[in-house]
Amino acid sequence: MDSLKEDLKKQIIEQLNLEDLTVADIADDALLFNDQGLGLDSIDALELIVLLEKYHGIQLTNPEEGKEAFKSIDTMAAYIRKRKEA
Amino acid sequence: MGVCITGIGVVSAIGMSVDENLSALREGKTGIGPLHYLQGTKASLAGEVKASNDELRAALGVGTEYVSRTSLLGLQAAREAWGDNKRSGVIRTGIISATSVGGMDRSEVFYKDYLAQNNPDYRLLTTHNSGSTTERIAKELGITGYINTLSTACSSGVNAIMLGARLILQGILDRVLVGGSDALSGFTIDGFRSLMIYDDQWCRPFDDSRAGLNLGEGAGFLLLEGEKSLELTGNKPICNVSGWANAADAYHQTASSPDGKGATLAIEHAIRRAGIGLDQISYVNAHGTGTKNNDHSESVALQNVFGSRVPAFSSTKAFTGHTLAAAGAIEAVFSVLAIRHNLIFPNLNYRTAIAETGLVPATKLETGVEVNAVLSNSFGFGGNNSSLVLTKYE
Amino acid sequence: MSKPALYLSAASTISHQPTFRNRGFSAALEPVEASSALISPDYKAYIDAGLLRRMSKILRMSVACAKDCMEQAGTGQPDAIVVGTGLGCLQDTEKFLNTSLTVEGLLPPTSFIQSTHNTMAGQISLSLGNHGYNMTHTQNTLSFEHALLDAAMLLHEGDRNVLVGAADEHIDILEDIAVRLAFETSAPLTSAASFFVLSAEKQGSAKVVLTDVYTGGGAKYGQEDIDAFLDRNGLQAGDIDLALYAGDPVQGVTGNVDYLSLAGVYPTASAFALHYAIDLLGTNSEVKNVLICNGLRKSNLGLTLLKAVEA
Repeated sequence: MDSLKEDLKKQIIEQLNLEDLTVADIADDALLFNDQGLGLDSIDALELIVLLEKYHGIQLTNPEEGKEAFKSIDTMAAYIRKRKEA
Repeated sequence: MGVCITGIGVVSAIGMSVDENLSALREGKTGIGPLHYLQGTKASLAGEVKASNDELRAALGVGTEYVSRTSLLGLQAAREAWGDNKRSGVIRTGIISATSVGGMDRSEVFYKDYLAQNNPDYRLLTTHNSGSTTERIAKELGITGYINTLSTACSSGVNAIMLGARLILQGILDRVLVGGSDALSGFTIDGFRSLMIYDDQWCRPFDDSRAGLNLGEGAGFLLLEGEKSLELTGNKPICNVSGWANAADAYHQTASSPDGKGATLAIEHAIRRAGIGLDQISYVNAHGTGTKNNDHSESVALQNVFGSRVPAFSSTKAFTGHTLAAAGAIEAVFSVLAIRHNLIFPNLNYRTAIAETGLVPATKLETGVEVNAVLSNSFGFGGNNSSLVLTKYE
Repeated sequence: MSKPALYLSAASTISHQPTFRNRGFSAALEPVEASSALISPDYKAYIDAGLLRRMSKILRMSVACAKDCMEQAGTGQPDAIVVGTGLGCLQDTEKFLNTSLTVEGLLPPTSFIQSTHNTMAGQISLSLGNHGYNMTHTQNTLSFEHALLDAAMLLHEGDRNVLVGAADEHIDILEDIAVRLAFETSAPLTSAASFFVLSAEKQGSAKVVLTDVYTGGGAKYGQEDIDAFLDRNGLQAGDIDLALYAGDPVQGVTGNVDYLSLAGVYPTASAFALHYAIDLLGTNSEVKNVLICNGLRKSNLGLTLLKAVEA
């Protein structure tokens, strides 16, 4: 398994206090902000921005940009990689 | 006859008194700028009251250092509103203040030392709890008995006015000093920055390009009297408190619902209670914080209620900043001034209407208009929405 | 002045005692021990996981008790939600204060959002989908009495059912502060939440009527103030079967119980006393008039008068 994606899942579980979930419960393509997916909300979106900076040193200053990046674990990993290359 | 206002007091970034605030409102002079007194925060701009704690203590004759800035600001405004009124064994008197963080301005000083194990002064915590800031004010003015504090974030100030009015109408009290106070603190500045709704530039309420709020600090107080009290004090009423309402969004922990549900309910019910027609509202002092969310939600609510005939409206937060629990009270005082002097205050720093709603606020000071009824909105965190209707005293 | 009777149709408490969903608990309560801990239910049964994961102690207690009350009362949406809290959301306040003073980069917002005093009332309205009047009173030891008075006023203004309650939470630093500020308490510091449904009409098996509430602050209060309150309600101390007190026992009453020894010490402990009284009035037909005398602070006096519903 892609270690960045695994790390992301662990960080999300911790940062968002998703007590009942394990890494195995989060599919790579699960829609994070969808009720059928993880059902996250706008407060979580802010927490994810903090997570991005804290663990990956990436600053996302525009919350709107986050909407695309945070769709799923897949898109988050892709976004992180893209920012790190730039 | 209902409930009327016979005294007002205010301290904010644009002045230490009612007169100073009024001058600034007339002249279009904002009080938002870089911080001078509160050190070490990351905000570039805020609506700071232009006085240090030492200066406030000296002016108010408060001897102890163990008093919060929130209390000092509250005392300043409360004294002005109370004026020459005296204690009375016959007039049942109470005080209701509102605050978001109480004495946090002192408590955070303690906590910093506590974390650094740098001889923290525990006595700084004696002024922390919200209730104590009101007790301090009550003590200075000689008010005992009904002393209460509300804390519902940004709608608190209006809620204090509403509760005071209800206590008078229910015959539990004859007169109530009502208002709110909040001082700037690193805690709240950091809090709003963490929500990414603190604008590093001067805020632009109702503008399409708005990017957030600027925090402010201050206090507003109003003396409410019922018929019995008026007969005994002989005070001259300035205006009536005619309508009020509080409604919850039940939508989200912080965001206001995009359909403006709670706000719509609050506005409608307040106007209905005032017993006047929608077309009789001369001016709306909006909540208008400058955040994407509030200004959109509030615009939708205004359109829900008024349709295509939204009255002249403006947000005065580009003058004062968002003063949190004090906002509803400070803006109630501004609404009283609008009625008393027949003025409509400008919505500073506005250029382009919000694309989705197209509402245009008043951008210049309007004089010589008849301002008979003002609607003032205060919509808070956690979806707590309150609206107030003040009308000219007949 | 004649005011319509107000019925207590539901009561729910989470505390350091076995109070939650435990009718009759008042019969077998021992004083709370310093080593005691909060007795929490399985919160998942009352609170949606998505909200629960973020909630601090005080929030969980409050929302669970509120939900439990609504279930007991069976009255549907309350017309209003009124909450009292002395110190508010301490856990999240301390957490954000800590974060703001120690973290260099971006600050996580959740604890700030949940640090405001009205988070309980807000979260309850969110869980119930309630759009009515929503208020939070915070006047240290009188916060609950003020909330109760507000609720009573709402009912006199025409509301039918109001959800009213109070909560306060303990955090470790309070012990340190109590020592440093020489704040002596007769019982251990604890946390708790108590919620009630106050109704304009008798609902189901409601056994208790709220007759009157009084709050007095900023002065020295004593027996004469208690007697005056009782007198306004056509009673004397001798008519009171049970006085639940914090501070000094009520003179002239034979049954005096120190409720702090049962609830522990926190600003809104008088709410625990109310539930205790309701529980007792519901099971003991000898007890007709109960007075709760909150003198937790010398300069504050909270008085709540209850009576058993006429059979």
